[in-house]
Amino acid sequence: MPTTDRLRDGLAREIGAERILSGPSVERTYESDAYNVDRSQPTVVVLPESTDEVAKVVRWCRREGIPFTARGAGTGLSGGAMPALGGVVISTKKLNRILEIDLPNRRMRAQAGVTNIALSKAVAAHGLHFAPDPSSQTVATLGGNIAENSGGPHTLKYGVTAPHILGLTLIDAEGEILELERGFGPDWIGMVVGSEGTLGVVTEAWVRLTPVPEHVETALACFGTVREASECVSAIISRGVLPAALEMMDRNILMALRAAFGLEFPDATQAMLLVECDGPREACRQEIEAVEQAFRDFGAITQQRARDAAERAKLWTARKKGVGAMGRLAPSVVTHDGVIPRSKLPEMLDAVYEIAARYQIGVANLFHAGDGNLHPCFYFDDRDPRQVEAVVAAGTEVIQKCIELGGSVTGEHGIGVEKLDLMGLMFSPGDLAYQARLKEIFGTNELCNPCKVLPNQRGCQEHRLRWRGVAT
Amino acid sequence: MSNHHDLEELTTHCIRCGFCLESCPTFKITGAEPESPRGRIYLVRGALEGKLPWQEIQEPLDHCLGCRACETACPSGVEYGAILELARERLGSKPATKALLTGLTNPGLAKIQFTLGRMLPGKRMPAALSRLIAGSPAEADLPRPQPTIPWPELDESKLPPVTGQVALVLGCVMRVLYDPVHTATKRLLRRVGLETVEIAAPCCGALHAHAGMLDEARTRAQQMAAAIPPGIPIVLNSAGCGSTMREYGFLDPGLSGIANRVRDLSEILLEHGMVEALREAQGFGGKRITYHDACHLAHGQKVTQPPRELLKAIPGAEFVEIDEADTCCGSAGIYNVVQPQMARALLERKWGHIAASGASLVSTGNPGCLAWIEQKSRETGQQIAVEHTAITLERAWG
Repeated sequence: MPTTDRLRDGLAREIGAERILSGPSVERTYESDAYNVDRSQPTVVVLPESTDEVAKVVRWCRREGIPFTARGAGTGLSGGAMPALGGVVISTKKLNRILEIDLPNRRMRAQAGVTNIALSKAVAAHGLHFAPDPSSQTVATLGGNIAENSGGPHTLKYGVTAPHILGLTLIDAEGEILELERGFGPDWIGMVVGSEGTLGVVTEAWVRLTPVPEHVETALACFGTVREASECVSAIISRGVLPAALEMMDRNILMALRAAFGLEFPDATQAMLLVECDGPREACRQEIEAVEQAFRDFGAITQQRARDAAERAKLWTARKKGVGAMGRLAPSVVTHDGVIPRSKLPEMLDAVYEIAARYQIGVANLFHAGDGNLHPCFYFDDRDPRQVEAVVAAGTEVIQKCIELGGSVTGEHGIGVEKLDLMGLMFSPGDLAYQARLKEIFGTNELCNPCKVLPNQRGCQEHRLRWRGVAT
Repeated sequence: MSNHHDLEELTTHCIRCGFCLESCPTFKITGAEPESPRGRIYLVRGALEGKLPWQEIQEPLDHCLGCRACETACPSGVEYGAILELARERLGSKPATKALLTGLTNPGLAKIQFTLGRMLPGKRMPAALSRLIAGSPAEADLPRPQPTIPWPELDESKLPPVTGQVALVLGCVMRVLYDPVHTATKRLLRRVGLETVEIAAPCCGALHAHAGMLDEARTRAQQMAAAIPPGIPIVLNSAGCGSTMREYGFLDPGLSGIANRVRDLSEILLEHGMVEALREAQGFGGKRITYHDACHLAHGQKVTQPPRELLKAIPGAEFVEIDEADTCCGSAGIYNVVQPQMARALLERKWGHIAASGASLVSTGNPGCLAWIEQKSRETGQQIAVEHTAITLERAWG
């Protein structure tokens, strides 16, 4: 392994010593993102301030044979920003400027390190926003959203990140600066969005700006059984309503929220539904009334509708603070991510509880129920290797069940390192080989965020025990 | 360690989601994760687990302002302030910092120091002394006591009858530097029918606690508690003190009762009808005003709306918000003395937002913020007034 000094000095000549961080405190704080089961320390972290500086870093890494991994806010949930083979972490946190707002064409150009919420704030006065809204949006960056093709509660109606990206500046794996646009021919942007930083480093993007809806209605209901809540979800959709968001929380999440923040709900509650409709005022009212009718039809114990923005924020509290509340229960949480057909929700949830019980780990569930994207959250003590093993094994079983029920290995958190072994459940060896070949379009590529997404990459297998902290 | 709180247990409440990053002033400036709350907590945990030596985490912890904006952002309710203070206690304080605090929190000594200080060339801490404490030249001017304001006598015939008593903690820094704030505070309390009992105990222990000198803080807390009469609300007009006093139970569980009676001046005034009283004031006639949240008011005590509601109630005042109103200005207790460069960067950022708002007056609720933002106002020709909220409110009567 090259010494820290060699990397520091080499990169300092490229972009200046003040842009380079190293030392034990840097190594530790960049060893994982929000998925902290697997950890691997970088040798140095660089904070470039322009596309050119990123290109210089990438070219230097290629010349010297040093692995590099891009990182935004490090809020990813599958280890995408973890420097799997060490080397250089390229932080986008100094690429944090909004470059151009083009109102007539409803688009905006921004650097990769700008936070998701800052994009929306920049155009709020014009009644516009950037529609993808991951729960981490106050900190998660545009670059990270692009890498993971992030979704959020409003994905049901507005889609994931990909359709909201109109152009990209990508430093490919060989250090060439590419400007990609929407247009005829292959969908280059579609390839890069969701590639988890394995095709290069995105430094800038043109994003689509979406009008803020004229009217919003938010309602919440508590149900005595998961089945009733799930059937209610299916009924809402099959009756022709397309809510902006349709979220479910199970009893364990609610109990954590009660313990942490004093959330109130009837004791008989087994599942809570949160539904938001938006659009023109009259249409929106009709939709929310149809939703409330469905709540009644499926035996909701209680239901309420927000009367103003403050009440709406309060109804959303349970959803937004759900995972965080589990910090009160254990030192670590793995927020899993799988997709199933909506109609299979009750069966899936039973399976999740059964699996967690068998491995003796705590679990609570959040769903983007409208699009069948579930987030079982395992809480555990990451200082205990046995618990870590149990969480990984239980997660694998959960995803196997998702696929068995006709679903997918991930909805919006990505593969990263977390789900490397699960790719084979969905893709044949031929499919995977084809995906590996696709990567080569962007340069021969063993250094750019190595060991992510595609299993069995050269030189990765032997490091895996080390990531888990099982070996050092 | 004498404290009953388990530092390791506190650090494990952080699940490393990263939601705190953008709330952290030092992360916003540096973009570096060791300079973020998630990073610092994980470093403390690492040091406790023997993963890296304590001296490796000294610098990131020294750089922390202790503003606790991360606590507001945290979905898991992590007690960052407690983690910081306990970790600093483990690391131990530098002798120079200890000496600085001893002087600052003793009103008699502080007065002498500030008077001597004004005779110094440049009115700043001498470079040699600053290097000893901060390792770099000073940015903060030595503070100068605010001159007395010649308020007219209150006309008792126009005041409501006295309906209650409150205890006002005079403190150390506030008493020496901003005595007119106490005068304004007493007048405002009287305007809503409250009589003031002054508590002269010298120091609440806040600055010591923030520096991790928890034993020293505890002694001062116990002395303070002994000086406060039972039963009546305890009013603070200094955010840092209020925050620490509300959490006296952290220093000494026996002091929880005192802690539960602590209120910020703005809360007491709002509850006792100050908005209505202000209708009778002559007001400001078209002046645009704004408000800077002191960290230990907004994040330490979760008091953000009462001061705004009061300022908005001043007749003729046009209240505007500044961007990042609840982000630290860099003063942060003694931070602008021990970390001059970061403090200066944050002051420039704060001042940019204030200037962009077009306000001609900014109010705030803490002496540290006052002195630091005032300095920037002086440096830029005093176009914008910087005042304690109590002074602004009292001046609404002319």
